[in-house]
Amino acid sequence: MSTYHERAAKEMREERPSATVTPIMRKLIEDSATMLRRSPEDAKARAAAARMYAVDHLDGLHAQLRVQFQKRGIGYHRAAEPADAVRIVRELLGDAKRVAKSKTMVGEEVGLTHALRAAGIDVLETDIGEYIVDIEGRGPSHITAPALHLNRARIREMLARTGAELPDDDPVRLSRYVRDVVGEFFRDCDAGITGANAVVASSGRIMVVENEGNVSLGASHPKLHVAITGLEKVVADEDGALAILEVLAPSATAQPLTSFTHFLAEPDPGQQRHVVFVDHGRSAIAADERYREVLKCIRCGACMNGCPVYRAAGGLSYGSPYMGPIGAVVSPLLWRDGRYADLPYASSLCGRCTEVCPVGIPLHRMLLELRGDAVASHRAGSRKERVGWQAWAFAFSGATRARAATAFARISLRGAGRVLRPTGERDDPRLLPEPGPPARDPEMLRPRESQPRPVVVPVADIESEDPVELFKARAGALGVVVVEALEPAEGDRVLDAVAAIAATGSVLLTGEAAARRPILAARRVVVRVRVDTIVRYPSQVGAYLGTGDALILTGASRTADIEKQIVRGIHGSEELVVVLEPPASANPGR
Amino acid sequence: MARVALFDPCYLGALRPADAAHARRVLEALGDEVTLLDGRCCGQPAFNSGFRGEAKRVGRGLLKDARRHDVVVTASGSCTSMVTHYLPGLFDGSRGAAAGRIAGRFREFASYVAGHPNLERVALVLEGTVVYHDACHARRELGISAAVRGLLERVQGLEVRRLTFEDECCGFGGSFSVKLPEISAAMLTGKLDDVRQTGARVIVSTDFSCLAHLEAGARGLGVPLETWTVAELLSRALG
Repeated sequence: MSTYHERAAKEMREERPSATVTPIMRKLIEDSATMLRRSPEDAKARAAAARMYAVDHLDGLHAQLRVQFQKRGIGYHRAAEPADAVRIVRELLGDAKRVAKSKTMVGEEVGLTHALRAAGIDVLETDIGEYIVDIEGRGPSHITAPALHLNRARIREMLARTGAELPDDDPVRLSRYVRDVVGEFFRDCDAGITGANAVVASSGRIMVVENEGNVSLGASHPKLHVAITGLEKVVADEDGALAILEVLAPSATAQPLTSFTHFLAEPDPGQQRHVVFVDHGRSAIAADERYREVLKCIRCGACMNGCPVYRAAGGLSYGSPYMGPIGAVVSPLLWRDGRYADLPYASSLCGRCTEVCPVGIPLHRMLLELRGDAVASHRAGSRKERVGWQAWAFAFSGATRARAATAFARISLRGAGRVLRPTGERDDPRLLPEPGPPARDPEMLRPRESQPRPVVVPVADIESEDPVELFKARAGALGVVVVEALEPAEGDRVLDAVAAIAATGSVLLTGEAAARRPILAARRVVVRVRVDTIVRYPSQVGAYLGTGDALILTGASRTADIEKQIVRGIHGSEELVVVLEPPASANPGR
Repeated sequence: MARVALFDPCYLGALRPADAAHARRVLEALGDEVTLLDGRCCGQPAFNSGFRGEAKRVGRGLLKDARRHDVVVTASGSCTSMVTHYLPGLFDGSRGAAAGRIAGRFREFASYVAGHPNLERVALVLEGTVVYHDACHARRELGISAAVRGLLERVQGLEVRRLTFEDECCGFGGSFSVKLPEISAAMLTGKLDDVRQTGARVIVSTDFSCLAHLEAGARGLGVPLETWTVAELLSRALG
């Protein structure tokens, strides 16, 4: 296998990922910070605690979860290695021939799509970004935005390869084209495969977040829904799941919450539901004091959004389904054969990853640990490099020798700054530093005129102490129409919310009202919200979640898989209307 | 008056030998009695490359020399971070605890000066415009950015401009700059663009390692740029 350096250099030369990725990430990371400031002050701490508790109690929580799954009639499966996961999914699929798959990183990890296709199953990637990178054939370059490395023109080219005739590369047109292909497939496919963001041990509910509505369709497949996820994705209770929600979408995509947050319970009549938990070395990681915290990861991708190395060389250079700083940590831990031993070196150790991680994983310190491991196990560090460091250690372990060595460096580098490049390569723009007292020109303290500087326009922040006003403003910002009264129209799906969340502009539906396919099929979704059921934050909605199926809607179905431009109305209506109603006491008739 | 050691890190001794004199001058102006601690390295180059045994061997020498001093002022945020956050972890048990106690005496130069009780009494004047580079280890490992900016703002006549993308790394990263030169250079040119747009032609930082990298790029690309450590700037501001 090629090295990270070879792949990165080639990628930069041929694809120039930075031109597309850097401006997007610079804005995203600012917007994420804004979104996180809207969450309660202790949101990150609670999310981190919920994840750490899970890592500390993996066995106990899984034992509890098995019982809950049994009560609900959900199949519990455990795969030790990727091959086991593939085998289990194949068995669960039975004679299914056409399978709709939504985004799952663990699916990428075990090579699910490829393996199922090899077994003759027609698998369609139904996430718009995944659909596009599936055509390209090089895999996702980002864990939440798979096609981030491709601009709209390239995406149009990709779609044209499958025979799509598209007059231009407008992201709305491209997104809706894929939506239609996917929607058609969902009409008569045999099963839906999804991932899972958290599985609640105390209740046996499965939390999945998504924007487009393809998970809604997959999870509500009339015959079979299979979810595949990592062993560590269990959480103790709903409060833990809600704590994760409060930081997940803000960190991932600078959204308050994704369009759809599913809490999936027992299968529908006639439907089967199974969850496959993949170990693949996670148990071993949980037992290793130095690395166990990495299992807190909620796969938001903030570390890669902030990482300058990721931005420069793109996600595909990592050569792993997990890219960026989290990929550089987790890949060598999951695949223990040394194939990713050089990934921990794909970092300048600037610490940005650790800074932005919403669950407090010390990623850059783990990269340092992994480098130590790689050298100790002879998976990194050439013979020449080893000899070099030994010589260095000899020189710098005695003060006299060290002074001699620095003097030698000073002398041998003299004049080097005029001619020598650090790598000896002609296209390296740098010259070696020139030792000695620097030349100083007092004129240099006089500035030139500053040039127009790039401006990152932040998302507008809206604040209000009054939950109703805050709800109106935040929901409005997501394109939701909030009214006091409404004449129903034909084709409306009118539902009663059990609660709403002001900070995120969301509504909570439970039981029958959460039925996904009628919501997606409706021309317009109208949700009635009683103002006394509006809570401020997602973490306060626990009391309303009930015990069965639940769905949080946050704005209309949407995608931002093409250049991060938001396109509304993917699987499901563009129109979401909320009708605010007076408190129960003022309206006893309802 | 405090008695302090001034640790002149190995790479600074090699590349900018005059810098220790600037730092000493500033500390003496504040009334400190300064002993030079040189010929030592914190071990970071090997440590960051994964060669922990070698890093430990070299770092041990520094800790041994530092034992005699109550305060070790270090002219580099990166070396300070290595000593305080990582070096003790290379030693086991009681040796680790002892290493931790010595490591706790290391202070990054600029933040030490910023918190110095005699700072009020020293006049700092320098007419001109500079731009501040927030070194990653100073910013994230040590959390001293605000203190250093506050210190620079005390200098009368000095305008300190800020980079648009202040929190982005310059691409040095020690052996990273040689192991992944294309990425390192791409990060560097991004940083130089940001510097150029500010109009300032002098860049100031706590860390000479970043500055050496920026200078290597500026000279290679023909961008007029002077790189000053905070120690040099303060020394010149003393008049």
